Amino acid sequence: MSNDADMDFIAQAMPAFISEAAEQIEAIETLLLELEEQPDNRELLDSLFRCAHTVKGSAGIFGLNRVVEFTHHVETLLDKMRDGVISLNPDISTLLLQCNDQIKFLVDTAADPDADTADEKDTRADLVVRLRALTEGTAPPQAPVQAAAVASSGAAADAGPRVWSIAARFGPDTFRNGMDPLSIVRYLATLGTVRSVVCGSDAVPALGNLDPESCFLSFAMELETASSREDIEGAFSFVMDDCELDVVAPETADQKMARAIEALPATPRLGEMLVQVGAVTQDKLEQVLSTQQQTRGMPQVDKPKLGDLLESQAGVAPEVVAAALGKQQKLREAAPTEERYIRVQADRLDAVINLLGELVIAGAGATLLARESRQVALIEANLHMNSLIEEIRNGTLGLRMVPVGETFSRFRRVVRDTAASLGKEVNFEINGGDAELDKSMVEKIADPLMHLVRNSLDHGLEPPQERLAAGKPAAGTLVLSAKHETGAILIRIEDDGRGINRERVLQRAWNRGLVEQGVVPSDDDINMLIFEPGFSTAEQVTNLSGRGVGMDVVRRNIEALRGSLRLNSTPGQGLQVDIRLPLTLAIIDGFLVGVGKSKFVLPLESVVEVIESGGDSIKVDARGRHCLELRGAVLPVVRLRTLYAVESSLPSRVSVVVVQSARGKYGIEVEVLLGQNQTVIKPLGRLFKTLRGISGSSILGSGEVALILDVGSLADLATGVAAAAAAGAVQTTAA
Amino acid sequence: MSERFELPAELTIYNALETRDALLAWIKEQTVHTRDYLQVSARDVAEVDGAGLQLLAALSNTEQAWQLVDASAAFIDACRTMGFAEWLENRHMQAILQGASA
Repeated sequence: MSNDADMDFIAQAMPAFISEAAEQIEAIETLLLELEEQPDNRELLDSLFRCAHTVKGSAGIFGLNRVVEFTHHVETLLDKMRDGVISLNPDISTLLLQCNDQIKFLVDTAADPDADTADEKDTRADLVVRLRALTEGTAPPQAPVQAAAVASSGAAADAGPRVWSIAARFGPDTFRNGMDPLSIVRYLATLGTVRSVVCGSDAVPALGNLDPESCFLSFAMELETASSREDIEGAFSFVMDDCELDVVAPETADQKMARAIEALPATPRLGEMLVQVGAVTQDKLEQVLSTQQQTRGMPQVDKPKLGDLLESQAGVAPEVVAAALGKQQKLREAAPTEERYIRVQADRLDAVINLLGELVIAGAGATLLARESRQVALIEANLHMNSLIEEIRNGTLGLRMVPVGETFSRFRRVVRDTAASLGKEVNFEINGGDAELDKSMVEKIADPLMHLVRNSLDHGLEPPQERLAAGKPAAGTLVLSAKHETGAILIRIEDDGRGINRERVLQRAWNRGLVEQGVVPSDDDINMLIFEPGFSTAEQVTNLSGRGVGMDVVRRNIEALRGSLRLNSTPGQGLQVDIRLPLTLAIIDGFLVGVGKSKFVLPLESVVEVIESGGDSIKVDARGRHCLELRGAVLPVVRLRTLYAVESSLPSRVSVVVVQSARGKYGIEVEVLLGQNQTVIKPLGRLFKTLRGISGSSILGSGEVALILDVGSLADLATGVAAAAAAGAVQTTAA
Repeated sequence: MSERFELPAELTIYNALETRDALLAWIKEQTVHTRDYLQVSARDVAEVDGAGLQLLAALSNTEQAWQLVDASAAFIDACRTMGFAEWLENRHMQAILQGASA
C-alpha cells in the first residue's frame, strides 16, 4: 500500500467497499434474527459466518485494522457456534447484534479516525471482553479437544492430526485479483499432509472459448493436519469474496462422505458421485449397474433402483446414498428456480418512464391523424401499437415495484430492542410482505411506519403483569401486514394492547384547545385527535415516543404520499392502524375539469361532491375572497378563471367541486366537468416552480396539457392567505 | 512445423492469453495432418500457476486428444499439487518420472 497508485485505487474503491459492507451488515442482522427463531439451522449459521468473514476480509484489504480486529473476535465466536461448542441463546444473540452495530459504526466512520471517541472505544473493549469470555472461558467439557485446538490455533502438539475435507470453487475473478489456487493448495500442504487432491476442471470451457484470465477451477482435498478450521480457512481469506468454500471437520467416515457429495461440483449421476468420493469402487459400481441392466426386462415399476442396489449389494451406507440422491435432487431443482437480479439506478428508470409518457402522447397524436386519414389499415396498425404502448407502460411502472417485506423485516430488530428496553414481551408477526409497492413509496413509508410501530409498543401494549391481570397472555402480539386493495395498498399495524383511551384523549384535547371545551366529537374523530400537532397522552415522556412530535408528522408524511390513515380502536382490546397508499406516485386517479379552453385535473380521492350553481350565487367578502353558502355553512371558493387569468366568456352556469384538504373543505369553481381519468403525472419544469396551487402536469390523449391541482396549497389561496396574489391576478384580467 | 508443442518457460497468467492463442493456432495446423494424440511438451516450463494449468484443463475439455510427452520438475510438481496427476499417466511420462526420481 505504499505507492500512490495503490492509494488512488483504495480511495476509488472505498465507497464500493462501504456500500458492500453495509449490505453484509444488514444481512448479518437479518440472519441473526432468523437464527433466533431457528437456532439449529446450520445454513443460517454458515451464511452468518461468511458475512462476517467477508466484512473482515475486505476491511483487511483496505487496511481498516479496527474493523478487522473487532470482527475477528465476532468471527471466533461464530466459529465456535459452528463447531457446536457454543449454542445460541438470547444473551449471545443480543451481544452479537450489539457487535454488529459496532461493526457498522466502524465501517461508517472508516474514513474518519476522529469519530472513534473514547466512549466508543470503551463500548468496543467491553464487547470484546464479553466475546472473549464466551469463546475462551466456557467451553463445555464434552468437547475439550476441539476447544483446545481452536484456542491454541497453530500449536499442533495437544491435538493429534485429523483429516479435514476441503472443497473450494473459485470465482472467475480469482486470477485477476492476483490470487492463484495453486499457491493456496501449496500453502495448505504446508499445514499438514495432503491425503488426496482432485482438481475439478469440468467448469473450464474448451480451449477456444476460454478466457485465460478468468478462473474456472475448483478442487477437493483431504488434508491431514492438526491445524484449526480457522487456519485452514485463513488460506482462503483473500479469495473468500468469490469463492465457495466448504471445510468439513473430521467426522465419522459415512458422514464425511455425505458432506463430500454435497461439496462436489455438479456431476449429476448417482454412481459417479459415489465413486468420486470413494463410497464405492468403479468395478463394484459397474457390477451393480449390470445387475440393474439385466433386470430391465421386467416392467418399469419393478426395476430396482440403483440406490437400493448399491445399498444391498455394494454395502454402501444408506446415509451416503441419501446424501447423493439429495444432491441430485438439488441440482435438478436449482437450475430453473435461480433468481437473478440486475441493479439499475432509479433515475435511469425514471428517465424511461418519462420517455414512455412522451410515447403515449405521440401515440395518441398518431391515432388522431390516422382517424382523420380514414385508412382502415393505418387505424388498425395504430390501435395495435397503442395497446402495446399501454402494456409497456404498465410493465415499466411494474419495474419500480418492490416487495414491502424488506422494509418490514427491518422492524424486527426495532421491535425486539424496544420491547426489551421497555420490559415487555412481544410476538411480532409479518404478513403479506410480498405485496408490492413503488420503490420511492417504500422508502418514504419506512419512517412513519417505524413511528407507528414504536407507538404501539410504547403506548399500546401493556407490561406483562398488567396484561395477565386483564386476562390476556403475558406476551403481546404486534402484527404488521400488507395487502392490495383496488389500486391501493393497505398496510395495517395491529396490536392487542390497551387501545386508545378516548376519555383521556378528549380531556387532553379540551385542555390543549384542539377541541372546544364540552364538544364531544364522534369516536373516530376522537381517535384521530392523536395525530393533531402538539398532542401527547403519555403521562411519562419516554425516550421512544410521547413527546407529541411525531404522530402529526406521521400523518403529514402519509398524506404527502396521497395516502390516508384510519384508526380502529377497541378500548382494552387493541388498536388497529390502517394506512392506505396509492401503489405509485406516477399515476393518479384524476377528476378532469375545464375552465375556458384550459383543463385541470383534481386528485379524485380529494373530491367530496360537486354542486351546480349560478355564477351569481358566489359572493365576494370584504377582503376579496369568494365564498358560497353550502347547507348553512360558509364554503370558501377558489375561482380558477380569475386565479390563473384564464380567458373565457362568462358562462351562465358554473359548477363548484367541493374538495377536502388538510385545512378543511373548500370549493373550486369550474365551468365544465369532464369526468374521471387515469393521469400520468409529469413534473413541472423549473420555470413553473413558483406557480402556486399546481403540483404537476399531465398530457391528455388528445395531446392537450392538463395541469394537476395541488389541493393542499390551493387551500391556502382559497382561505385568503394569498388573497393578495389572487387580487393581483384579477387586476391582470381586468387590464 | 513442429511435431510437438513446447509450452513456454513461463506458463502463468502473465502470458496465458498468448499461450492459448499459440496453442490454438498450432492445433489448427496439426489437425490438418494428423488425427492422433497431440503431443504437448512441458520440458521448458520453469514457472507455472493455476491459470497455466487451467489452459491444459481447457485443452482436455476440447474434443482433441492430447498427451504430455515431456515435463520439467516444476511442472510435474505443480500437476501433482493441484490434483492433475492424470496428465502424468501415459507411458512416456512414466519413464521420465522414473528417470527423474532415480
